[in-house]
Amino acid sequence: MTSKSYLGEQTMDNLKILIVEDDPVTLKLIEKRLMKVGYKVETAKSGVEAVDLVSTRFFDVVVTDLMLPGGVDGIDTLEAIKAKWPETEVILITAHATVDSAVEAMKKGAVDYLQKPINFDELILRLQRISTLKSLAKDANDFREAMNVTEKSAAKTIQDLEIMVSELQQSCLSAKNLLSDQDIEINERVRKAIEVLSSRLPNLLETSKA
Amino acid sequence: MIKVTPEEIKVLSKYVADISGIFLDQSKAYLIESRLGSLVEEFGCTSYREFYFKAKSDASRSLEKRIIEAIATYETSFFRDTYPFELLKYKILPDLIDKRREKSPNFFPVPIRIWSAACSTGQEVYSIAIVLKELLPDLKKFNVKILGTDISGRAIARASYGEYNKFEIERGLSEERLQKYFSRNSNAWKIKDEIRTMATFKKQNLMKPFTGMGKFDIIFCRNVAIYFTPRDRVTLFNKIGDVLEPDGYLIIGSTESLASICPKFEPKRYLRSVFYQLRG
Repeated sequence: MTSKSYLGEQTMDNLKILIVEDDPVTLKLIEKRLMKVGYKVETAKSGVEAVDLVSTRFFDVVVTDLMLPGGVDGIDTLEAIKAKWPETEVILITAHATVDSAVEAMKKGAVDYLQKPINFDELILRLQRISTLKSLAKDANDFREAMNVTEKSAAKTIQDLEIMVSELQQSCLSAKNLLSDQDIEINERVRKAIEVLSSRLPNLLETSKA
Repeated sequence: MIKVTPEEIKVLSKYVADISGIFLDQSKAYLIESRLGSLVEEFGCTSYREFYFKAKSDASRSLEKRIIEAIATYETSFFRDTYPFELLKYKILPDLIDKRREKSPNFFPVPIRIWSAACSTGQEVYSIAIVLKELLPDLKKFNVKILGTDISGRAIARASYGEYNKFEIERGLSEERLQKYFSRNSNAWKIKDEIRTMATFKKQNLMKPFTGMGKFDIIFCRNVAIYFTPRDRVTLFNKIGDVLEPDGYLIIGSTESLASICPKFEPKRYLRSVFYQLRG
């Protein structure tokens, strides 16, 4: 029942997940469970293998055991992943006794940790939360992009108008000054004022086309 | 969640405009509820009316500060809109330095005073500082002062601390600039001292007088007047004109206009951007 309802919610969800676990039974169990829910899952049996995999490939989420054999533990794996792919989220799996190290790992950029024995519903809830956050972040980026495009085109129009209005203000001002210049004969004043105003017109048309 | 009534919006928006200049019209109920809702609950009020009277009668004005911080918009990014920073680097600073060098004796560092009005969490200030650093390798020959001000004390505190999360550094910073001017501290990136020391931060409400600020060669006042009423915009840009050097430069938001607001500024074009100078 539970997995079916998860499946329903997850069909739009294409998280690529890497599981790193040295115990083959646990590894198989997590893999099966997550695949049943509809995630794309790959596995690694050691930190070395995991680091090798992420050196060339991106995963949305890496679920890794904290204690791993072979000299590269969960923290090392976390650091290698974060250095290569800062946007990959890492969930640690820890035994009860190593909760302190898990907290330490979160300071180094892990998003969450789960205690053994793994509660699968809990793991899936965390993955859903990551997926929601990722889609919110994507929405925010999309909105921002849309806003940037709108803003850029509005900016161009507004700046062109700004210059145009300023030039018009200036020529109106000189026309006004010319018209009120008592030293010049009235017909000459009008002729000059028209000249000033019409000399702006080609410029204005150019600006609005630019 | 407590709902705000049209009557309360009227009273609150007048109050918010009085304390901050930020204008919220009748259509902004969602904004009031989303930005002030948790404060209303935190202060144990059962209506926005009660909340308003509580804020008005608070002699310590601490609630007033919290309201300003909650209602302000902090949207900003490093090198926002790009063009203003190219304008600064290739036009304004070279022109300004030429003019200032003529004025000041050889052995004195050339003074450059820049103000980022409404700097939010500091990204604009540090973007300006980075441009200066890149344009002028020998900064010792210059006396650079960049002032960042904002109405929100919380924003100023963050700007002053100069530390940013991954979402903030992802916006506008190239990998090269990130490596060069920031040091990484687990999940945060902190601006390096060589950039940080070029800037000073201060809390400033743009509705209040600009006393004791001195004069500036360059003022950035981008995307803040858009939240003010037209009348407050006129007041703001006239006051900005008063603290700008007669040959100084003003840069406003890329979609803002001064044509009908403050005709004493003349717009000038440089490539894809416009800047303003006081008319002679």
